[in-house]
Amino acid sequence: MSDEYENKTGYQAQSSETISSGGRGGGSGTVPDADHVRPAEIPEQDLYHGHSFITKWVFCQDAKVIGVQYFLLATFTGIIGLILSWLMRLQLGFPEAAGFMTAEHYYQFVTMHGMIMVVYFLTALFLGGFGNYLIPLMVGSRDMVFPYLNMVSFWSFFVAVVVLLASFFVPGGPTGAGWTLYPPQAILEGTPGSGMGILLMCISLILFVAGFTMGGLNYMITVLQARTRGMTLMRMPLTVWGIFTATILAMLAFPALLVGGLMMTLDNVLGTSFFMPTILKAGEVLEYGGGSPILFQHLFWFFGHPEVYIVALPAFGIVSDLISVHARKNIFGYRMMVWAIVGIGGLSFFVWAHHMYVSGMNPWFGFFFATTTLIIAIPTAMKVYNWILTLWRGNIRLNVVMLWCLGFIVTFVNGGITGLFLGNVTVDVPLSDTYFVIAHFHMVMGIAPLMVIMGAVYHWFPLVAGRFLDEKLGKWHFWLTFLGAYSIYFPMHYLGFIGVPRRYFEMYDSPYVTSAVGMNEFISVAAFIVGAAQLILIYNIIRTLKIGKPAGHNPWQANSLEWLTPSVPPEHGNWGEKLPVVHRWPYDFSVPGAKEDFITQTTPPSEVTETEVEKT
Amino acid sequence: MSNLLKKLFGTLLQKPWESERAAIDNAHEGKTFDISVQKSAVLIIFGIATVLFSLVFTSYLYTLPPGQDTKYLLRPNLLWINTLILFFVTYFFNKITNDLKKKDTSKVKRNLLIIGGLTYLFLFGQIIFWFQLLKSGNYVSTNSYFANFYVFTALHGLHLLGGLLFWGKVSSRVLKLEQNKILEEEKNISALSLYWTFLLIVWLMFFLMIYIFNDAFVAWCKSLIS
Repeated sequence: MSDEYENKTGYQAQSSETISSGGRGGGSGTVPDADHVRPAEIPEQDLYHGHSFITKWVFCQDAKVIGVQYFLLATFTGIIGLILSWLMRLQLGFPEAAGFMTAEHYYQFVTMHGMIMVVYFLTALFLGGFGNYLIPLMVGSRDMVFPYLNMVSFWSFFVAVVVLLASFFVPGGPTGAGWTLYPPQAILEGTPGSGMGILLMCISLILFVAGFTMGGLNYMITVLQARTRGMTLMRMPLTVWGIFTATILAMLAFPALLVGGLMMTLDNVLGTSFFMPTILKAGEVLEYGGGSPILFQHLFWFFGHPEVYIVALPAFGIVSDLISVHARKNIFGYRMMVWAIVGIGGLSFFVWAHHMYVSGMNPWFGFFFATTTLIIAIPTAMKVYNWILTLWRGNIRLNVVMLWCLGFIVTFVNGGITGLFLGNVTVDVPLSDTYFVIAHFHMVMGIAPLMVIMGAVYHWFPLVAGRFLDEKLGKWHFWLTFLGAYSIYFPMHYLGFIGVPRRYFEMYDSPYVTSAVGMNEFISVAAFIVGAAQLILIYNIIRTLKIGKPAGHNPWQANSLEWLTPSVPPEHGNWGEKLPVVHRWPYDFSVPGAKEDFITQTTPPSEVTETEVEKT
Repeated sequence: MSNLLKKLFGTLLQKPWESERAAIDNAHEGKTFDISVQKSAVLIIFGIATVLFSLVFTSYLYTLPPGQDTKYLLRPNLLWINTLILFFVTYFFNKITNDLKKKDTSKVKRNLLIIGGLTYLFLFGQIIFWFQLLKSGNYVSTNSYFANFYVFTALHGLHLLGGLLFWGKVSSRVLKLEQNKILEEEKNISALSLYWTFLLIVWLMFFLMIYIFNDAFVAWCKSLIS
């Protein structure tokens, strides 16, 4: 590999003598020298270009390749999570066909499904996948500021996934403590995977956090310190705002998971009692004592609730950009959208104990956490209104991307409204252990962000691969997933209301069994169909890579920088000889007076002199 | 801090679509803060490490057992010497950064080596102290007072080891440089200096805490009042 190090290339810093000011983001009302931008003051970045297969595609330092690696590995773990959910649904809907599954297996599948989907799929995909691919492109830099660290970040994630999956093959199997991993039961005999399973889970999480910290450091510094000229923070696309804020949340929240995981490992292996109170087992007093299980719950949810927004904020950002591009309209209330992202991010650290109402707390704390929880509805509702107002009188292209966006809005509103129910202590206590909660969080942080991911895949695939995904297949994919997901989760609200408890292997002789059985069968069939429908996307991707319609440059007529690279797909270094110079925000769509219905961020005002400006 | 908040709120209030704003924005060079990426990285690590150590402190306070056997920790011991060593490290870092500001590079190489040596000595001292604790029968599982002590010192030590990794990288480059070129490494050295100062502050917080939040200290305070 030594020869690659000779291949370090520094692009030459260039000074630009273009002009500008003007119009919407620099458009109209041109004055002489209006396109002027200051010469580059930030030195150019040295990039390491690999030229063997290993350094180009395996141990690669290009953020775009790392993004794709993150995406593929996260999707792989997501498919495992999906298969686990199928097995769970098989047991719940058709227990006679799931004779191979014991209650222990069921709990292990529940646990692994939850952890995989939240951390190893959604978080890794949004921040590692989209973050790596889009941040440098959207802010106009050549790569992340620390490319080597970025590569190490992905490989830490890889090892974390390997360790996690290894727990399926150790004695006792993976942990079955539930994805919240609550002690004392997580590490006591009787819980599936209480030995090696929980140990490997904690080690895997620690590796994930360590790896993510390296990636997060890159995302934050690239956004703050390595943007191109003219790219102010308030000219960044909302996608970058969402990923950036989510990264800050992750950097502040993941240490809690790390501390919790580390201390639980010590309780498990070295016999400490961080989370272990004095406890009896079969009438015998164990050697533990003095610890607090509630402390673990605080640590877990101090991470766990911001985690919801670590997933949601990038989705909010991405969907804003998709809606704006495909409705050919500037995003309504850009500033408000940024404020809402930042506000939600800040508030998310003050609501964690709403996950612990049933653990018992001083009523004043319950009151406090219920209030803060409900306050989050304000910035969230602002975003929903703004998405709808962006669509209003827009020149909507009802393509697959837009369908996913619309699907997201209704699903998010749906899940959000049930969140208002559960934010109240008195409503939460009876509903907490029922299927209502399952329905709520799957709608709001499962299906809704997934719809954004799908929309984003259809939107940015032409950039990554240079070809359009097939629209017809895409519509089949959308409708099956959308209607199927509602068939799964709508009935679960009802199941929750009639009191069907969650995390139960079977209903035994419960009085709810009669009304729940038919519905469980229906939900399971829907779940099998929705899972299988994802094969359409995989087929679509493979087919498109072979015979898909070439997309060319900027196929959606978007404004943001990622579409303005000299080559499609973008090469390592992104911008060829010269870095782009930004003259406006990325939302100049359908500007009155402009020749076309979009003005890219790099278009100097002198080229769009006829545009009109709206004063706000 | 107030400048930072002003900047943050000022930024969030901008209207990027307006022509007056666009004229200002076009002159933006692309950087948010006028600091190096190395320093930015250290500051962000501060943030993360502060949360991490605060959570360990919180866990310590949350699970502090009654009637801790603190005799061993409270009498004069190796921890005091280790703390003194950390002070010396920060002193030498301070010396280097001051010298670099004055463009004096004559003692940079020597001081960098002293810093590395002293940090290794600190870590060695911590391990010796661990052995002394174990010998006296105070294990990680003895009670949460000691469990937290071991966890904290381990995490602090790991942070120092991480710092030493970058110290090694920077030092090996500096040692190869001619005197007049050492200034090229100023950004890296000042970032390292900042990191070590932060770890000294974290250590002092913890050091104070183990002496303040325990039954013996509370009893002593009570005796003062009575």
